[in-house]
Amino acid sequence: MKLNEALAINNSRKTGGPRKLHYLACSFEPLHLTTLFRAHLVQRLPEDDVEVVSGVYGDLQGNLALAAESQAVAAAVVLEWSDVDPRLGLRSSGGWSAAAKTDIVATVQQRFERLEAVIGRLAARMPVALAAPSLSLPPIGNTIRAQQSVLELELHQQLASFLLRLAKIPGVRIVHPVPADATEKRLDPKMELLAGFPYTVPFASALAASLVSVLWQAAPKKGLITDLDDTLWSGIVGEAGIDGVTWHQESHTQTHGLYQQMLGHLAACGVLLAVCSKNELATVESALARKDLFLESNSLFPVCANWEPKSKSIARILRAWNIAEDAVVFIDDSPMELEEVQQAFPGITCIRFSGKDPAKVWDLLGELRDLFGKPLLMEEDRLRQASLRASAELQEMGEAAASPEFLQGLQGTVTLDWRLDPADKRPLELINKTNQFNLNGKRIGEGEWQQLLAKPDTLLAVVSYTDKFGPLGKVAVLAGSLQDRVIRVSHWVMSCRAFSRRLEHHTLQGLLSRFPAATELEFDFAATEKNGPLREFFRSLEASPDGAGLVRISRAAFESQCGLLPHQVKDLT
Amino acid sequence: MNDDIKERVTRCFVNIFPNIPPQEIPRASTASLAAWDSVAHVTLLSSIGEEFDQQFELEDYADLVSYPLIVDHLESKLKNG
Repeated sequence: MKLNEALAINNSRKTGGPRKLHYLACSFEPLHLTTLFRAHLVQRLPEDDVEVVSGVYGDLQGNLALAAESQAVAAAVVLEWSDVDPRLGLRSSGGWSAAAKTDIVATVQQRFERLEAVIGRLAARMPVALAAPSLSLPPIGNTIRAQQSVLELELHQQLASFLLRLAKIPGVRIVHPVPADATEKRLDPKMELLAGFPYTVPFASALAASLVSVLWQAAPKKGLITDLDDTLWSGIVGEAGIDGVTWHQESHTQTHGLYQQMLGHLAACGVLLAVCSKNELATVESALARKDLFLESNSLFPVCANWEPKSKSIARILRAWNIAEDAVVFIDDSPMELEEVQQAFPGITCIRFSGKDPAKVWDLLGELRDLFGKPLLMEEDRLRQASLRASAELQEMGEAAASPEFLQGLQGTVTLDWRLDPADKRPLELINKTNQFNLNGKRIGEGEWQQLLAKPDTLLAVVSYTDKFGPLGKVAVLAGSLQDRVIRVSHWVMSCRAFSRRLEHHTLQGLLSRFPAATELEFDFAATEKNGPLREFFRSLEASPDGAGLVRISRAAFESQCGLLPHQVKDLT
Repeated sequence: MNDDIKERVTRCFVNIFPNIPPQEIPRASTASLAAWDSVAHVTLLSSIGEEFDQQFELEDYADLVSYPLIVDHLESKLKNG
C-alpha cells in the first residue's frame, strides 16, 4: 500500500460504527507507520470507527505504560535495536568503541527484562502484537557484512530469549519477520535523520499489514475433510491394492507423505479430520490401518467411503461434527469432485491437491497453517476429537440418549467457575466461534473482553463438563450482570460438543443458586441464521422474546420447567 | 503542466488536511495553517514525493513551507528532468 492510498483510505473510512482504539507503541516517530497501520485496520475492520494513538518520541517503556492505561482494544508494539540501546541507532553519538560495545552487551539483558515486565502488564489488558527489530544492527561487527560477528550473535541470542519469554505470556503475539521479497530496502536513513522515522514506506506498509493480520486474525477453520486416492496417498487403492499406494521419498511420492504429516500436526492441534472417498469401505479401512501411515488413523473420524456423490458423504460428516460448513476445508485432487462439493456447500473452502507438483503442495501446507492457525492452543483443543466421538455416539442413540436414566448413567460432573480470570482465553474463544447455541451471535474483541471483565458488576460462569466418556473441558460461557434483582445475560454460548446433556439447565440453575436475591433472568437475545438450538431451548421453557428482543424467565417459571437435573455440580469461586 | 502540478499537489494537501476548505489550499503555509505542524510537513512532502516520484533533499524540507513554494519547486524540478 502506498502512502497516498493509505491517506485516502483513512479519509474515506466510515465513522459512527463501534469505536476501536488501537495503541501503536514504539520509541521512534511513528509518522507513516501510524497512517499505514490505520489504513490496514480500516480495510480489516470496515464497519468500525478505527483510531490509532501513539505516545511520545523516545520513550518506549513509558508508551507501553500509557497503552496499558488507555481505552485501546489492542496494541501494536514495534521494537528496534535503538530501543534496546540508543547507541544501536542512527541518531545517537554514543560511540562504538570497544568499551561501548562491551557495555551494550552487558546492559541489553536488563533492558529486555524491564520491557518484558511492562509488556506483560499491557497484555493483561489487551492483545499485543509485537514486532521484533526489523532493521540491521549498525556496522559494528569486526567482520565483513557477509559474516556474523560474535557481538551480533550475542545480541541476537538475547533478543531470541526475550521473544521466547514474551511468546509464553497469554495475549502477546510475536509477529513473524516481514518477508524480504516485497521490502528490499527497510531502512530510510534520510527519513530517520530528518524526522526520526526509520522505515521506507513499502516496508512500513508490509509491517503494518503484518501487525493487523496478527491482531485481527480470521476465525480458524475447525475441520478438514480429505480425499484418499492421489491425495492422502499416491495411487488408486481399489486398483493398486492396500500395499500398492505410496507416500514415501523412496517411491518419489513424498508430497503425499508431507501432506499426511501436516494432517497429523493439525490433528495434534485439535483440528477435526475426516475422510471422504469414493471407494469400498473395507478396502479403505485396511489401507488406513497400515502402520507406516504418518498420522494416527483414529484421528480420522468419520471415514466415509462409498460410491455416492461426495457432497452426500460431506453432509454426513458435517452432521457428525455438528459444525457449520464455513468452518470446514475439503481437499481433493479432482477438480470435478471439488466443483460438485462447492456447489452443494458454497461455504466450504475447497482446495485442490496437486501431488505431482511439490511447490504447490508446499504452498498448500502453508495455506493450511493460515487457515487453521490460532494464537494459543488450549486444553480443549486436545480433547476435541475424543469428545466429538462421544457426541456422535450420543447422536446415534437418538432419543434414548435424552432419557433421564441414560443421562444419570453418564456420571457427569458440571463445574461452574465464577472467577473473572483475564488470563483465561477460552471463554472469549467460545464466544467468538460458537454459532448454534449462541444467545445473539455478538462477537467481541480481546480488549473489549478485558474491559468487560474489569467492570465491577460483571458476572461470569465458565462451564466445564466431564463424564465416564472423558472430559469435554470448558464448553459453555455465560456473561452478564446482576442489576436490581435481575440477572441480565449479555453473552451465552455452549459448544455443540456439549449438546444433549442438559448443561444449559445446569447453568441457569447454578446461576440462580449463586444469586439467591435474583428473581428474574433477562437475556439479550437476537435470532441469527444459526442459533436454532438456543431458540429451541427457550421454547422448551415457554419463553419468547419481547418487542425489544429480550427474553425474560422468572425464577419460579424456570424452577417449574427445569425438573431434576442429572449431573453433580461443583462451584469454583 | 502548471495546472496539472497544482491539481496533484492540491490532492495531496486535501489528503493531509481534509478539514480545510479547498479554496484556502493555494494560500496555505506553515505560518497560516495551524494543522501544518512538523509531522504534517514530513507527511505532506512524502505524499507529494510519492505522487510525483520525486525525492526531496534534506534542505528542501526546511525550504518548502508553503503551497506556492512547493508548486514552484516541482515545476522547476520536473522541467529540468
